[in-house]
Amino acid sequence: MATTIPTSAFIATPHRCSTGRSSAIWVQKAQFSASSSSLGVSLSLKRPSLRLVSVRCEANGAGMPVIPAQERWMYEESEINGPDIWNKTWYPKAADHVNTEKTWYIVDASDKILGRMASTIANYIRGKNLATYTPSVDMGAYVIVINAEKVAVSGQKRSQKLYRRHSGRPGGMKIETFDQLQKRIPERIVEHAVRGMLPKGRLGRTLFTHLKVYKGSEHPHQAQKPIPLPIRDKRIQFVKK
Amino acid sequence: MNKDKIFKLAKGFRGRAKNCIRIARERVEKALQYSYRDRRNKKRDMRSLWIERINAGTRLHGVNYGNFMHGLMKENIQLNRKVLSELAMHEPYSFKALVNVSRTAFPGNNAVPKKEGLSSIL
Repeated sequence: MATTIPTSAFIATPHRCSTGRSSAIWVQKAQFSASSSSLGVSLSLKRPSLRLVSVRCEANGAGMPVIPAQERWMYEESEINGPDIWNKTWYPKAADHVNTEKTWYIVDASDKILGRMASTIANYIRGKNLATYTPSVDMGAYVIVINAEKVAVSGQKRSQKLYRRHSGRPGGMKIETFDQLQKRIPERIVEHAVRGMLPKGRLGRTLFTHLKVYKGSEHPHQAQKPIPLPIRDKRIQFVKK
Repeated sequence: MNKDKIFKLAKGFRGRAKNCIRIARERVEKALQYSYRDRRNKKRDMRSLWIERINAGTRLHGVNYGNFMHGLMKENIQLNRKVLSELAMHEPYSFKALVNVSRTAFPGNNAVPKKEGLSSIL
């Protein structure tokens, strides 16, 4: 990717480094161009509204028309030079968060601690693992959870954790333990956990619809080719004592 | 301010607040107070958004935000958070180079410095 090299040269100049080592780092950078796998799935370079290098004078179809020097005063800076990406914080356009192009992840919930798993799931659904994270926009991924009835909790929670709901009428409080709910509707346990960790509001409700929980090990989303969710928590595996 | 100015500022308000002067005047006063306060809040919100983006970008490389910034401060790299977040989004290879610079300067709590010779016994 020879195009990235000129931009790094641009960056080297305003950055004041006191140590002589840093110049060696820029030379090393040339080797990184081949290794895109280490950067993770999120950095797909096919976002239509972002270009790594914009060659401004060459109008490729609907690009920037060349404006002669005498007429420059008539136009705004963004029309002459293109959008200012360095002084304005990037905000995603509609093409940057199309639902059909989002990644799908899959987690097997068997013998995973409920809360720790739900926390990583919520992070991925919200998009907090991506450098393009925006709180007001749904930039996250879809997550499929299978074997939801095998999810584990530590301690005495299996018989002592209570799930409450209220019908709205007086005396309408219904209480169930973790065990009873797991026998009745096992998907609801994982859904309840993840919903509590997603933001509450209009956006949070649409984020919640990106979570798909299933009881067995089958799921109808093979066409989306889900990849295994990378979990970095070391204490997520339930250890029977 | 006379009524015309109030109604001009009340465009897009909900219900009677855009039509009826008594209600519009209250809502416009409140709107101006909010905009005064939020011109100051915007600077804070933007900075926290940059920090969140940098955090996500560095965690892709296995380094968290705190250790990353500490490493940059040690190397006296004075790039601000706005530019760092834009680098993390638009220039991933350059950002990875920065993360490596920071990692060599400050490896973080995980890297225990190896004691050599006599001090390894002590």
